[in-house]
Amino acid sequence: MLEKNKLTSAVAEFNGVSMRYETGPEILKDIQFSLSPGSFHFMTGESGAGKTSLLSLLYLDNLPTRGRVRLFGHAVDTLSRSARARIRRQIGVVFQDFRLLDHLNAFDNVALPLRIAGVREVEIRRHVTELLAWVGLEKQLKTFPPALSGGEKQRVAIARAVINRPQLLLADEPTGNVDDAMAKRLLYLFLELNKLGTTVVIATHNQNLIKHFGFPQLHLEKGHLTLIQPSNKYAEMANKLFNRGDNA
Amino acid sequence: MSKNTRMLFSNDASRFFLPWISLAMVFIAVLVLAAAVISYTSINAWNKSLSGSLTVQIPTYTDDGTPKGEILKTQIETTLTILRSSDGIMGASVLSDEQMNNLMAPWIGDKADLSALPLPKLIDVTIEAGKIPDLNQIQADLKEQVPDARLDSHRIWLKNLIDMGHGMIQLMLLLIVLLLGTLAITVIYATRTSLSVHKPVIALVHMIGAGDGYVALQYARRSLKLTLSGSLIGFMLTLPVMWVIKTFVTSLSPDFIISFSLTFEQWLILAMVPILVSILAFITAYKTVIAYLRRFL
Repeated sequence: MLEKNKLTSAVAEFNGVSMRYETGPEILKDIQFSLSPGSFHFMTGESGAGKTSLLSLLYLDNLPTRGRVRLFGHAVDTLSRSARARIRRQIGVVFQDFRLLDHLNAFDNVALPLRIAGVREVEIRRHVTELLAWVGLEKQLKTFPPALSGGEKQRVAIARAVINRPQLLLADEPTGNVDDAMAKRLLYLFLELNKLGTTVVIATHNQNLIKHFGFPQLHLEKGHLTLIQPSNKYAEMANKLFNRGDNA
Repeated sequence: MSKNTRMLFSNDASRFFLPWISLAMVFIAVLVLAAAVISYTSINAWNKSLSGSLTVQIPTYTDDGTPKGEILKTQIETTLTILRSSDGIMGASVLSDEQMNNLMAPWIGDKADLSALPLPKLIDVTIEAGKIPDLNQIQADLKEQVPDARLDSHRIWLKNLIDMGHGMIQLMLLLIVLLLGTLAITVIYATRTSLSVHKPVIALVHMIGAGDGYVALQYARRSLKLTLSGSLIGFMLTLPVMWVIKTFVTSLSPDFIISFSLTFEQWLILAMVPILVSILAFITAYKTVIAYLRRFL
């Protein structure tokens, strides 16, 4: 059912969305935007501008206080719990604090979404080993998160988010704990996925990355959202860099 | 336990807490239940030995040694009336001289003249099968109307013991109800406590897209396994304890007082305790996780 909607509607669609926690002030005010399939956006804004809240609406951790959020064509407020679980399985999330399970090694952390989906162990072994090798962690398969460096944890978290080939990939400050070189390397991983059709939204403060890659920004300021298109110079650079001139 | 369950939930302290709690609680519950079952069986056996017949003796001489004469006849008539009108008594008849002779023959020979002896008159009472006459009431009636008639006293004593036994069983049943209630609350509490350790895992697995039923089932299976291992060991440990108590008590008194052998059905009842406890843990874990997940969207 979700597969069918993939082609005909936006991945995410926000209509007059406002959100507050309990009786607190409005964190998000009258948000209006949509993400078309295969798009790549940065999400920017100062701390407290509402980035994490907006992401939480996208990965179905919260419902808007007002307005309507549609994901893959479904109004999320009208869905049953099990339908919401099915939608979550199409969304990969890289949390700011990684949220790896310390009692599972790198392999089992990444395998988690596949096990939940009931994939056979043989296939899990093949896919997870392949992906971890791809992110350069083939020697850390059996290492537990406490023994991994910040960058390695980051890559395990990213691998877990993408192992299921999500339709939508969300990342909250995925480069917050690593240097610029590592940040760029991680961004290339997302780009590879994006080329395969995954819609990507990355919340970041890193202006160097934004300038370097030149994707449009969902910019939040005091709860209001504005879309910032990249200047031509950066867009051209990005297109040249990733050979996307024909379909940008 | 499936690979997933093993994967999801780490081996934290709760892994030991649940088995130990269930081990101790099942151990106590099974012992009390066994005591109740044994008491019940013993009392049933005593009840059986009560049925059959009993006798009433009426002395033929007064306390100062003179024959009663006519009074004896009235006393016998009154006693028979009291006995025959009591519930649970099928019949009562005075033993004839011939029957008395037969009874006494082993001691004094069949040629002796019984009339020379101050033998009491014996009334043979036949009790209705499966019924226990109210012996205390009969004794009270006799005492009022035929003061020197004597009802077989060991039966009265046994009857009182049985009444006390019934009281004991009721007390034990009350104890078992309290114990099972405590056990239920403990299992529920232990399951919830161990859940708090695993909340981050449950929240994450939910976020990754696992359905509520899936997460709850994984966790409930883990609780079932931990509780089952503990309560089965608790049950096993009662066996040597019961054997020691049995050996000790049987060495103290002959085994007609307490019957220690349990039937297959009674063993089955005891074996239900660890199983019920484990099922309770499973259901509690399942429901607790579902309730916890409802906090999330």
